[in-house]
Amino acid sequence: MTALIIFTLLMLLMLTGMPVSIALGLTVMTFLFTMTNVPVESVALKLFTGIEKFEIMAIPFFILAGNFLTHGGVAKRMVNFATSMVGHWFGGLGLAGVVACALFAAVSGSSPATVVAIGSILLPAMVRAGFPKEFGAGVIASSGGLGILIPPSIVMVMYAVATNSSIGALFIAGVVPGLLLTVFLGGITWYRARKGNFPRQPKASWTQRLKAFNDSVWGLLLIIVVMGGIYTGIFTPTEAAAMSAVYAFVIAVFVYKDLSLKDIPRVLLNSASMSAMLLYIITNAVLFSFLLTNENIPQSLASWMTEQGMGIIVFLIAVNILLLMAGNFMEPSSIMLIFAPILFPMAIALGIHPVHFGIIMVVNMEIGMITPPVGLNLYVASGITKMGLSALTVAVLPWLFTMLAFLMLITYVPEISLWLPRVMGML
Amino acid sequence: MKWLDHLEEVLISALLAAATIVIFVAVVHRYASGLPLGAFQDFLLSIHLSWAQELCIILFVWMAKFGAAYGVRQGIHVGVDVVVNSLSPDNRRITTIIALCAGAFFTALVAVLGSNLVWHNGMAYAVLSTLGMETAPYYEGPTTPDLEWRTWVVYLAVPLGSALMCFRFLQVLVKYWQTGELPHHDHGHVEGLHDAEPFPVVEQKP
Amino acid sequence: ADPIVIKFSHVVAPDTPKGKAADKFKALAEEKTKGAVKVEVYPNSTLYKDKEEMEALQMGAVQMLAPSLAKFGPLGVKEFEVFDLPYIFRGYDDLHKVTQGEVGASLLAKLEPKGVKGLAYWDNGFKVMSAGKPLKAPEDYKGLKMRIQSSKVLEAQMRALGANPQVMPFSETYQALQTGVVDGTENPPSNLFTQKMHEVQKNATVTNHGYLGYAVIANKDFWEKLPEDVRKGLDEAMKESTDFANQIAKEENDKALEAVKASGKTEIYTPTEDETKAMQKALAPVHTEMAERIGKDVIDSVYSATGFDPSK
Ligand code: NA
Ligand code: NA
Repeated sequence: MTALIIFTLLMLLMLTGMPVSIALGLTVMTFLFTMTNVPVESVALKLFTGIEKFEIMAIPFFILAGNFLTHGGVAKRMVNFATSMVGHWFGGLGLAGVVACALFAAVSGSSPATVVAIGSILLPAMVRAGFPKEFGAGVIASSGGLGILIPPSIVMVMYAVATNSSIGALFIAGVVPGLLLTVFLGGITWYRARKGNFPRQPKASWTQRLKAFNDSVWGLLLIIVVMGGIYTGIFTPTEAAAMSAVYAFVIAVFVYKDLSLKDIPRVLLNSASMSAMLLYIITNAVLFSFLLTNENIPQSLASWMTEQGMGIIVFLIAVNILLLMAGNFMEPSSIMLIFAPILFPMAIALGIHPVHFGIIMVVNMEIGMITPPVGLNLYVASGITKMGLSALTVAVLPWLFTMLAFLMLITYVPEISLWLPRVMGML
Repeated sequence: MKWLDHLEEVLISALLAAATIVIFVAVVHRYASGLPLGAFQDFLLSIHLSWAQELCIILFVWMAKFGAAYGVRQGIHVGVDVVVNSLSPDNRRITTIIALCAGAFFTALVAVLGSNLVWHNGMAYAVLSTLGMETAPYYEGPTTPDLEWRTWVVYLAVPLGSALMCFRFLQVLVKYWQTGELPHHDHGHVEGLHDAEPFPVVEQKP
Repeated sequence: ADPIVIKFSHVVAPDTPKGKAADKFKALAEEKTKGAVKVEVYPNSTLYKDKEEMEALQMGAVQMLAPSLAKFGPLGVKEFEVFDLPYIFRGYDDLHKVTQGEVGASLLAKLEPKGVKGLAYWDNGFKVMSAGKPLKAPEDYKGLKMRIQSSKVLEAQMRALGANPQVMPFSETYQALQTGVVDGTENPPSNLFTQKMHEVQKNATVTNHGYLGYAVIANKDFWEKLPEDVRKGLDEAMKESTDFANQIAKEENDKALEAVKASGKTEIYTPTEDETKAMQKALAPVHTEMAERIGKDVIDSVYSATGFDPSK
């Protein structure tokens, strides 16, 4: 009953179009004022302490690093490198787009950033090379999703924060599924290109490939700074994020020189406001999950579910449907922060591994980003291609179905996610 | 109000830059002080940076609170606008005004609650004892563990940031009332796209 | 009438000594007050996190807590940092002379001006030092990155050994040790074992150099407004659960140390008397260095309660 009131209220507030963060906060306030005797001062306290956690601080750092990379010529060089490697196969620049997205995903923590970085360079080039617009948009909007599955990933940080899981283990768990999805997306791109007889690039010589690699090596090295840094123990994940921001700044300004010092305040301001928005949602989501815990909602849902005798298979289907539906209307961080605290105790009660469950949620978020009406990657792709949302929705369909198949695989084969972290002794 | 806009922007940018530098220096220090450098190692070990994480958190929380206010001005806060956009213009106007009022109300409420928290958490004691008055029902508040700063000073970010945010919501509301325009941050906007040079692919097929 | 509800929040798992003792207190309190009181235990930081529980207690948002003694320094009662001083207790006998004697009571009384009523001390245990290499002499610590919890005394202690103290949340420690972000740490054996830190530390030395404990506290106004007979019942329940807490903490630590040995993953070393002397000597300056901060009188009162002679 309580749960019903809380969620109805939240839904009503959200439908007015007010920021999700405000809707969360108002729901909590309304409830605390009218139905509990929790002193409301503790709400103000939680508004500070809610994000007072060093792990969360990885988010602003990754955003800052991502902005330096996007504006700093790193993406351009990665696209060149990917094109020189796979551009001569069926799918040509499209296939290069998938690979470039995967490469960029390995240095950036966000999906839309990946779409922007790779798409803004590659999409115009694809159109010029004679690809149908729809094809390019489909490739880039869907491959951009790799941004949150291949580590580092801001959405994974949020899951870790919401469920007290290990960021390091989640990052490592994302590697194999990330590579697998790259193969899946590459496969469907290749297949469709072959069927449509889309243009291919001339095969690059090894000298050209080496040169392209050399040009992009400074960007690629960031993979080693972040992932290597975390796994050799030089940095904690948050420190790795900070170091990657410093590193990205140095290569953008001093090595590639695509960014000048006078651009820095603008990059800082954009990163700060984007980070602040996410941190503000997190704060209010923490408040919301405090309300749920205080009312014992996740626990009673979990025990209700066990009483019903719901098994893992049914539960996971329900979770996927729920998250895909939510993915239509909300953006990933809000979904993660609202649903993870509720679903997590149920998943644990059923014996699902916390890290596996995290990967399932992340893949759902990826799909949500290319489904209308709210799909960040679609918005970005539409910004680049000037295509309408409905045209884009149709354009991404082949990749969307591929991702749904991939989701099923990830959901029911936990070892894809758990194998690598287990081998590395992180579980 | 130009000065306030400017102050807000400079503040949040500076907080982000400062936090990055703090963590960078702390990490470099951790490794440098582990190297066997004789007297220089002793010197490095004598520098105490154990407060770096705490400072980083404080800087970011302040950035988050004031950045959220900046975000209202920029329309960056994401919401579910599907239903609103499908309403008739009149209904949309009413709903939007309700949403903006709710934003102003919530942030005002937080500003009040936050002030109350800060006041009871040590500000009252500090103020009253500075004025040489009776501090009786209030106690001296706690400090942060590492920097040992008064937590009430640190928590000031909540009421101050929220008050500013409330002000921003009211500004947006007035503007919307008058012109029907909302600040809109286009998450799909691609900066610098127009000046993107044609990138050199290996060789373009004709 | 409806029972009086006491929300008792803590930040550890229900199956730890503190978690079990909290549940024990719940059972005893409800029994002894004949149901006049209902204790709701919230483990694992579900209600309040480490960093906010103290403020929540002061505001009356939660009625009882059992925070680590290190939490009272930031509250403004730095006298509690005396418990962090290295080698100030030679064992549980020394310790209990303080925590169950007048000195302990007078320390708890210092919490009252902060709106906090101190009820009892619950032991966790004495700490062992661990790292990726043997730690026998003070020189072995030189340049090591040692994880500590936020505490000026522990910082000074690690510095006195030439180590580089790294303040880090408990929850991050396992991974930091595993990957090598930090080289070593100090923990009671039970924490070392339950957090699996022994899997990522090659060596541990049973230095027993420092004590880790908790104080059970309540919101002062709430406590004082309780009916006389209820408070009496709760006092009794607290006394019994304190004995229970200390006993299982001791057992748990002994068991954990054996389990670590049996795992073969960490080599456990018990220092010789000379080695302990050398460590004590290296760490003695910490007592003087911290005297101004903690209060010389408090340190002296502990010395005299236990018969500790700092000159030896
Ligand atoms: Na990524
Ligand atoms: Na969507």
